[in-house]
Amino acid sequence: MLTKIASVANYGLKAIDIEVEVNVADKGFPGFGVVGLANKAVEEAKERVKTALINSDIEFPNQKITVNLAPADLPKEGSCYDLPMAVGIIGAMNLLKIPEEKSYFYGELSLDGSLRHSRGVFLLALLAKEKGIKNIYVPRVCANEASVVEGVNVFPIDNLSNLIKHLNGIKLIEPLYKIRKDELLSDIVPEFDFSEVCGQEQAKRALEIAAAGGHNVFMMGPPGSGKTMLSRAFPGILPDLTEEESLEVTKIYSITGNIPPGGSLIRNRPFRSPHHTTSQVGLIGGGSNPRPGEISMAHRGVLFLDEFPELTRSSIEALRQPLEDGIVSISRASGSVTYPASFMLVAAANPCPCGFLGDNKKECRCTIFQILKYQKKLSGPIMDRIDLHINVGAVDIDKLMVGNNLKNQSETSSTIKNRVVKARKIQQKRFKGVDGIYSNADMKNKHLKDLAVLNPNANLLLKTAVNKFGLSARTYFRLIKVSRTIADLDNSVEILEKHIAEALQYRVRTED
Amino acid sequence: MKDLNYKKGRDGEDIAKYFLIDKGMLWVESNHVNNLGEIDLIMSEGDVLVFIEVKLKIGDQYGTPEEMISKGKISRVKRIAEGFLVINPKMAKKFSKYRIDAFCIVKDFEGNTKRVSHYKNIG
Repeated sequence: MLTKIASVANYGLKAIDIEVEVNVADKGFPGFGVVGLANKAVEEAKERVKTALINSDIEFPNQKITVNLAPADLPKEGSCYDLPMAVGIIGAMNLLKIPEEKSYFYGELSLDGSLRHSRGVFLLALLAKEKGIKNIYVPRVCANEASVVEGVNVFPIDNLSNLIKHLNGIKLIEPLYKIRKDELLSDIVPEFDFSEVCGQEQAKRALEIAAAGGHNVFMMGPPGSGKTMLSRAFPGILPDLTEEESLEVTKIYSITGNIPPGGSLIRNRPFRSPHHTTSQVGLIGGGSNPRPGEISMAHRGVLFLDEFPELTRSSIEALRQPLEDGIVSISRASGSVTYPASFMLVAAANPCPCGFLGDNKKECRCTIFQILKYQKKLSGPIMDRIDLHINVGAVDIDKLMVGNNLKNQSETSSTIKNRVVKARKIQQKRFKGVDGIYSNADMKNKHLKDLAVLNPNANLLLKTAVNKFGLSARTYFRLIKVSRTIADLDNSVEILEKHIAEALQYRVRTED
Repeated sequence: MKDLNYKKGRDGEDIAKYFLIDKGMLWVESNHVNNLGEIDLIMSEGDVLVFIEVKLKIGDQYGTPEEMISKGKISRVKRIAEGFLVINPKMAKKFSKYRIDAFCIVKDFEGNTKRVSHYKNIG
């Protein structure tokens, strides 16, 4: 007998409708074959399905079983076809009633017949909504991902036996209760609070601007001055994701299987800090079947690269295009995939290999050649794309002394966060109706004329600065965006002279 | 032990042979051996020469006989069959077609035959 079960394949960030056709033939030599460009993980499904059926007290048919994953020309990968195959086989044996209405089945089987965490459930639910499919059957551990999508009944499945009872109408499974999006609160606990960082007021201000407008930051300073500590405290002042942003981030996390069991929408801004030995593919994304890399995992969040010049040159240069466009297109033999990669780059570096170049107290022991080689890693095009350059100098001993009542001197993360959130609210209002733009840094040059209006004095100052320092056209536009954010923090409608002046201060590097 | 296995195999081949003769097939050769290996049973049905792989299992703790016939085994039988046709050109002339069958027998521990299955054309 022939049965047809609907399921879903993932290609990039797209979900594609798949039909799993199962034929259990009376004639022919017994066996179990899977066709339809299945990879190794799908081939291995045979053993999992077989054992799961036996362990669910169903005799595996000693007949010729052929499974076809249609459309046959699309490569299928992953273990999520276990459930549709099992349902198809049991249905073909007339042991369960396959729902007449088209429903999606999706999930990896365990040998004991229970269902395991499978990636991509969120995308499945979105596709179901788009195609008008009412019911989806997914593993219980990742059913919460789907439950935020409205208009789709999500049936959480514990194991095969329960599913059979449900489909036969013996014991029904309750569809999952819909989680309202506003019920999901973020619960981020950063390692450090900004009040714990001694001194570095300029760096803190720069990070506040970066968080408010989504600008890229570059911190340079001797070892032990607090660059890493500042970055670790950074998530504490980031605003929560908006609803649209949250959907975008959840898609990427769902496809990479990074949503923890029971987890739902991602509400915290991603903060990724890959080690500097990360390969280019790990950073940008890739593989024979292209997968998202760290820059896509940091979409709408922060990519923190400590010891920036220690990354390979090709990795650093590969960041150029995503930094500008906010997307990354990866082309491989199997096809081309575009992943979103609109991230905020926070990079930290020492000024030279020994770390003490330009330090007041300690002497630099590097040769000129070493210094040049080290700084050449930070190429012009990359530095041009970073809006805020800060020098994080060594901290004065007076500020470090225990007992100076540090807590009262510095602001806490939550105070700063309040200001950041306020500035973001202004931006949200500004970009209402403009698609895909959520922060000042996302603005395209064409938007600047209408959305970032300069006061005449500010215009003059900017013109003088660009001429004097020989700044590039890109820098000119980026300066306006940073000034816009500073003005937002100041709650000012127009960009004034002082805002431009502050933006310039972060822009012009001492070496330039 | 080895002797027992040998005897068991012979036993199965005999069951298959007489069962298929009953069904109207003609016996050609048993245990054909060439330098590529051995074929359990060769018979003919009309103008088709049939190479048969016989599997006998006593009890079912160790799986079904069908599971013991893998893809590799089938392709091996195919190669030996082609070898047979090269050695016997007369046979090759007489029969224009050939196919590979499987014959599976399950016995219980008392020696009673529980089930026999004949699968045609499994290549």
